[in-house]
Amino acid sequence: MGLVAQMDQISGGSFILTRMDEVINWARANSLWPLVFGTSCCAIEMMMATGAARHDLARFGAEVVRPSPRQADLLILAGTIVKRMAPRLRTLYEQMAEPRYVIATGACTISGGPFVYNSYTTIRGADQIIPVDIYVPGCPPRPESLLYGILALQKMIKSGESLREPGIRKKPVVSELPPGVKLEDITLELRQILGDEGITNIPEEIARREWSTGL
Amino acid sequence: MDQEILLAQIRQIDPQNQISPKKTDLIALEITATSLHEVMRTMRKQPDLSFDMLCSHTAVDWLENGFELIYVLYSTQFRQSLMIIVNIPRENPVIPTVSNIWLAAEAQEREVFDLFGVQYDHHPDLRRLFLEDDWVGYPMRKDYKDDFMLESAE
Ligand code: SF4
Repeated sequence: MGLVAQMDQISGGSFILTRMDEVINWARANSLWPLVFGTSCCAIEMMMATGAARHDLARFGAEVVRPSPRQADLLILAGTIVKRMAPRLRTLYEQMAEPRYVIATGACTISGGPFVYNSYTTIRGADQIIPVDIYVPGCPPRPESLLYGILALQKMIKSGESLREPGIRKKPVVSELPPGVKLEDITLELRQILGDEGITNIPEEIARREWSTGL
Repeated sequence: MDQEILLAQIRQIDPQNQISPKKTDLIALEITATSLHEVMRTMRKQPDLSFDMLCSHTAVDWLENGFELIYVLYSTQFRQSLMIIVNIPRENPVIPTVSNIWLAAEAQEREVFDLFGVQYDHHPDLRRLFLEDDWVGYPMRKDYKDDFMLESAE
């Protein structure tokens, strides 16, 4: 929910009464700095398609791609993970500061994908090595899917973790399209989320942003 | 240099070796493992051949028919490609290295050793390249199996 919305509800808008959790989660969700772990074709899709101007990751505050795990709080896994890479991936994850989030994009990082059978070296799913928050299916996923995954993560952050119980999250979340949801719905939802910064009715806003599948 | 002249040159080097009847885009020459080093040196050094570039080296596992080692050569001077094929038995796959003729062969032979287990005689540094040093077996062999692998469902 927007901080502006909280201010506007108080007449005069001069001070805010809210839980720290909400402010902190709002800040965390809107400044995700991704660390890119790209090993194969999914990485190309993520860098060229999703990161480029047409789809513009910057709209969601997640465009500051960091090459160092120390400065990142979102690990985007894009591409096949092999046995030899697994310990390095584990190290990268451990070097990231808390709170850290992981998005697995593509069939390979979710399950081993096309290489699941008769492969002597492909790891069958990144969650065998590190905990994963969001799974974005596809081979490779379309840019819309990855954006939807990032939005799903933002929802998870905003609705989830509390200062009293750090590290307790609602997960895992599958960002796959639920039955009945079409691409146009997502586009519409994106447009609404982008447009609605000045919403005043907070309960309605919260209700509107619920998962259609129930987060 | 057109292909006929090239073939005539090659026949001269060692009449024992046969030009392969295989249908490939490149001229393919099948030679024996014992004459490999000799032939390769001539290919590189002889001025009217001067194959100064080793484009690629790889292996094929034909199971009971042994390994087929493939060397693709290129002459930057005459703009001519040539494929050299050597068959070696699967039980004791030993072949002399050509890394003292083309330096590029060193890494490529290491890769073939890593994945197929072909032993290169006199190779300066025959270690695993892509796999971990303690890996057991050679995974590109067609009969390779290990505990980690999943057989396909069908
Ligand atoms: S899921 Fe498909 S596109 Fe992505 S890395 Fe694997 S094979 Fe490539």
